[in-house]
Amino acid sequence: MSGPAGPVAAEPTSLYAAQQKIYPREVDGRFDRLRRLAVWLLLGLFYLLPWLPWAGRQSVLFDLPARKFYVFGLVFWPQDFFYLTWLLVIAGVSLFFCTALAGRLWCGYACPQTVWTEVFLRVEYWFEGDRHRRIRLDRGPWTRGKILRKAGKHTAWIVLALWTGLTFVGFFTPIRQLGAEVLALATGPWESFWILFYGAATWGNAGFLREQVCVYMCPYARFQSAMFDRDTLIIAYDPARGEPRGSRARRADPRAAGLGDCIDCRACVQACPTGIDIRNGLQYECIACAACVDACDSVMDRMGYARGLIRYTSQQALEGRGTHVIRPRMLVYGALLGLLIAGFFVSLALRTPVGLDLMRDRNALYRTLPGGRIENVYLVRIVNKDTRRHRYVLQAAGLPGIVLDTDAREHVVGPGDVYSVAARVRVPAAAAHGSQLIRVQVRAVDEPRFAVEREARFLGP
Amino acid sequence: MPPTESPPRSADDDAPAAVGWSQLAQDVAVTLWPAFLAAAVATMFFFAFFDPSLLGAGAVPPRWLQSRMAGYAVGFFFFWSIGTLSSALTLYLVRTAHQRQAPPAARTRGPM
Ligand code: SF4
Ligand code: SF4
Repeated sequence: MSGPAGPVAAEPTSLYAAQQKIYPREVDGRFDRLRRLAVWLLLGLFYLLPWLPWAGRQSVLFDLPARKFYVFGLVFWPQDFFYLTWLLVIAGVSLFFCTALAGRLWCGYACPQTVWTEVFLRVEYWFEGDRHRRIRLDRGPWTRGKILRKAGKHTAWIVLALWTGLTFVGFFTPIRQLGAEVLALATGPWESFWILFYGAATWGNAGFLREQVCVYMCPYARFQSAMFDRDTLIIAYDPARGEPRGSRARRADPRAAGLGDCIDCRACVQACPTGIDIRNGLQYECIACAACVDACDSVMDRMGYARGLIRYTSQQALEGRGTHVIRPRMLVYGALLGLLIAGFFVSLALRTPVGLDLMRDRNALYRTLPGGRIENVYLVRIVNKDTRRHRYVLQAAGLPGIVLDTDAREHVVGPGDVYSVAARVRVPAAAAHGSQLIRVQVRAVDEPRFAVEREARFLGP
Repeated sequence: MPPTESPPRSADDDAPAAVGWSQLAQDVAVTLWPAFLAAAVATMFFFAFFDPSLLGAGAVPPRWLQSRMAGYAVGFFFFWSIGTLSSALTLYLVRTAHQRQAPPAARTRGPM
C-alpha cells in the first residue's frame, strides 16, 4: 500500500544524532476549523467539568482517597469495577468501529496528544509567529527580542501545563479544595507530585515531542492499519489527477504543457505535522489531520483548479469504484457495539444501589442466652450507592425461628455513605447445631426493590 | 517575476529535510512508554481490588502506605519500573539476536 515508504532505516551513525525539528506550516481551511472546534469542545469539557457542581458535590470525581467514583447522579464503588472494565471494552470496540469506517479520525481530531499539541502550537504561534519566522528565529542569534519571545512562550506553556496538571488531579481529589490549597501553597506532597508529573508530561508531549509520539510511541498508530479495508475513509492524494507534477505559470494550460494538477509547491509537505509527503501514498505516520487537504485546497483555489487533489476518500473511490459504507465488517462491529452499549445501560439501570457486607464478630463464636436461645453477632456494613438517603431494615432467614435484632429498627444511610451496625442473630437452641448457613437481607423501606442478600455462617454448640 | 506560481520555497528548502528521532531517543521511548501504559492499567486493576490502606503484612500497614494517595503512587511507580525492565530486556534481546544473524561487515542496514 505504502509503496517505497519502508521502515526507517537505522543508520548506526544516527545513534546520538540530534533530533531534527519539524516546523508545521499553519493552514486555514474547513478541516482546520473543524479541528479547532473539536479542540475547544474537548478541552472545555476537560477544564470545566471538575468545577461543575452536581447535587451539592463535584459532578465528575473519581475520589481516590475515599475510593468512590461520582459521575453526575451515579456513585460507583470499587465493587462496581466491572462497569469500568465494561466501559473500556466499549471504548475499544468503538475505536475498531470508527477506524474501519472513517480511518484515523480519532488521531486527527480527538486524541489528547493532538488536542494539546494544537493548543501548544497556537501559543507558539502567538509568541513566535508563523512557520517562516519560527525557522528564522531559531536560526538567528540570541537577540533581546528572541529571548523575550522564547521566554514568553515557555512561561505560557508552563502555566498551561500546570493548569492542566491541576485539572487532572482535580478529577481524583475534590478540585475546589485542591484549588484553595494551591492558592495557599499548601497542597499535600502527593497532590503536588501528581500536578507536577502530569504538567511535565503535558509540557513535554505537546511542546516538544508532538507528532513524534504518534510516529514512534503510539501503539494505535501501528495496528490501526489492520482495521482498514479498501472502503475506509483515508486522506489521499489523487495521482491520476495530479501527475505529472510540475510548476507552471498561473494562466498556463496544464494539459497543453503535459502536466497534471499538482504544481509541486510542497505546501502539503510543509503543513504536515509529521513531516511526510502524502503524495507518496498512505503511510503509517499519517495521522489523518487533514492539514495537507486544507493546504492543497487553498493552492487549488489560487490556481483556479477544482479542490480535492488531496482529499478524504477511500481506496475504492480513488480507483474509480464506489465506496461501500455498509459492509460485513461494519455490520459485525456495529452489532457488537450496539449490544455492548445496550447491555451496559440495562445493567446500570437494574443495578441494586445498595451493598451489604457481613463480618462475624471475632470475640465470641456464639453465646447461649438465658431462655435457651443461641446468639451470633455480626458486624454489618450497609452501603448506600444511591443518590438519595434511604431507610433500611435488616432481616435474617434460613433457620426455623431465626430473628435478627439491632439497636435501632431502621437504619438511615445518606447518599454514598457506608453505615456499620452490630446485628445480633438469635436461633432457638433446638435449631442451632454446628455450623449452618443463614441468609441476611437488607432492604430499603421506602424502595423495596433495593434489596440484597448475603450468606453467613451461624455457629452453634 | 519568476514564471512559477508557487508559494515561496526559500524558507522551506533550508528547513531540515530529514526529520526523526535518533536511535537512542527511539529506544528510550519504546522502553518507557509501553511500560507506562501497562502500569496505568495494572494500577487501575490492582487498586480496584485492594485498598492500599489495607495492604501490608501485619495488621497495620507500613508507614509509607498509610495515606492512600501514597499507596497509589508507590504502586504505579512499582508497576512502571517492572514494566520498564521488561521492555528493556525485550528490546535488548531483539537487538542482540538481530546483530548475530548478520556478519558485522555486511551490516549496513537491518534486514527487516
Ligand atoms: S497516532 Fe496515536 S498519539 Fe498520534 S494522534 Fe493518533 S492516536 Fe494520537
Ligand atoms: S499527510 Fe496530511 S493528513 Fe497525513 S499527517 Fe500529514 S498533513 Fe496530516
